[in-house]
Amino acid sequence: MKKELPKIDEYNFPLIYKHLSNFIKIEVSKARVNSVVLGLSGGIDSAVACYLASNALGKENVTALIMPYESSSAASMDDALIVVKTLGISHYVIDITKQINEYFAKEGNSGDAEGIRIRKGNKMARERMSILYDYSYKLNSLVLGTSNKSELLLGYGTLYGDMASALNPIGDIYKTQIYQLAEHLDIPKNIITKPPSADLWAGQSDEKELGFSYETADGIMYLLIDKMYKPEVAVSLGYDEELVDKIYGKIKKSQYKRRMPLIAKVSERTINIDFRYLRDWA
Amino acid sequence: MKKNNSMKICLAQTNPKVGDLKKNIENHVEIISGAKVQGAELVVFPELSLTGYFLKDSVYDLGINIHTGESAVLKPIYKTSEDLNISVIAGFVEKDADFNFYNSSFCISKGKLINVHRKVYLPTYGMFEELRYFKPGDGFGVFDMDGVKVSVLTCEDAWHLSSSYIAVNKGAHIIIVNSASPARGITAGLNKFNSINMWEELLSVIAFYYKSYVLYVNRVGFEDGIGFSGGSCIFNPLGEMEKKLDYLEEGIVSTDINLDLLNNERFKTPLIRDENLNLTLKEIESIVNKGTIK
Repeated sequence: MKKELPKIDEYNFPLIYKHLSNFIKIEVSKARVNSVVLGLSGGIDSAVACYLASNALGKENVTALIMPYESSSAASMDDALIVVKTLGISHYVIDITKQINEYFAKEGNSGDAEGIRIRKGNKMARERMSILYDYSYKLNSLVLGTSNKSELLLGYGTLYGDMASALNPIGDIYKTQIYQLAEHLDIPKNIITKPPSADLWAGQSDEKELGFSYETADGIMYLLIDKMYKPEVAVSLGYDEELVDKIYGKIKKSQYKRRMPLIAKVSERTINIDFRYLRDWA
Repeated sequence: MKKNNSMKICLAQTNPKVGDLKKNIENHVEIISGAKVQGAELVVFPELSLTGYFLKDSVYDLGINIHTGESAVLKPIYKTSEDLNISVIAGFVEKDADFNFYNSSFCISKGKLINVHRKVYLPTYGMFEELRYFKPGDGFGVFDMDGVKVSVLTCEDAWHLSSSYIAVNKGAHIIIVNSASPARGITAGLNKFNSINMWEELLSVIAFYYKSYVLYVNRVGFEDGIGFSGGSCIFNPLGEMEKKLDYLEEGIVSTDINLDLLNNERFKTPLIRDENLNLTLKEIESIVNKGTIK
């Protein structure tokens, strides 16, 4: 029985690449548009999504929005621009500092520093979402999601912020596999080797914040989710009990972020409860 | 019997447009006409090829009672089949006189309906919810097509080895497996999805041990993010894959089913002749009646 997260290697990469490209191509055309718009952070996830989209739709049908805040690292901007340049796609740089600061100036910086930092991070993620959806209309393009399976499961993202999109080609691919995918896509080395960060404040680190490495977490989540093993089985296979419990707890606690809002059933046929059609229905 | 004791069959790996009967029928007619040019006598389409697969509540809108005036919608297929003197197996949502719905596949041969297979094993686990909408079929039939005995198994039917066991013992020469199998699971070092790997192993086993031709017709395309894994292929009675289509792209492939080769294989390795049906019957009766095996 296979107990390790499968590696994306030279054998399965061509198939995965084609599969994800077809996904983007087909689902975009079903929406009767030709193009996508995505937020490009300079990180590996949005770079991978961008490479996939450019391959699927052609460079002329992908637009990247680079949306820095004053604390965003200059290196992130440089890396995002390298992706834009390498692929030859169109892009816009939209600084979100002013509106974020204006809002929090009115709100006042009362409350604990940690709380403010999180609220600011969420606000930035939602501001970027709001701009992406405005450009979705403006450019007649779908918003391409860039959340990977690890962060979606851990709930390490902002609801209706970076988690919002029309299509997500990488949402079933763990962070560890994103690195492998990136290698095969020939994404610039610097983007692959730098430590993962949401870059919502200076020096932020995913793994520091989460308290574990993606590699370990992905190994555990592969057993809990893909293999549907109970936590005690993951522990019996050699994983630390405390860590398994922590990760399982995070997955459960963030389930609400992965679902549509709850609707109180009143009628005989209720949206998403017993009114059941594909999104592709139309 | 066929000329040269063989039959030319075309597998059509399509990407049905979900819920759009009209468009899918047009596409079928076009493919059937193209296959005829290549000399095909039978064209096989995937499971639910006329409707798409993850239909949910739209099953209700797509059901056709093929024995009533509702089948008029299929007229272009009947007509093409008659005009071109060709047989067609395609998947549709069947509705019966009591308003039950089935995941069915018809065989229209030279303008006449000669068989309908209602899928028996309706997967209702994981991403599948067929039993929520469909009623299971009640058997695995074998029908004659110009002297060649054919049985149709739909997707999950084939995962139950009893289905192909029944089909060959009822006389099938060819087992046609039409499916809408989602691509899932990757493995390091493997250039195909795990799901398709399981399929190819299964089909090879059925072909070799049940000494039959096995034709697998799967679809491609996406429905709400779920991609189908194509890889339609033909296994001969030696368990060898003779031809295969791409895993992810639409396409058609033709093959000659050679009954002389089947004759040869069944003579050399007479597994079907030697099958002890009475013993199997006795054992199954014992299992069904007592819930235990002696």
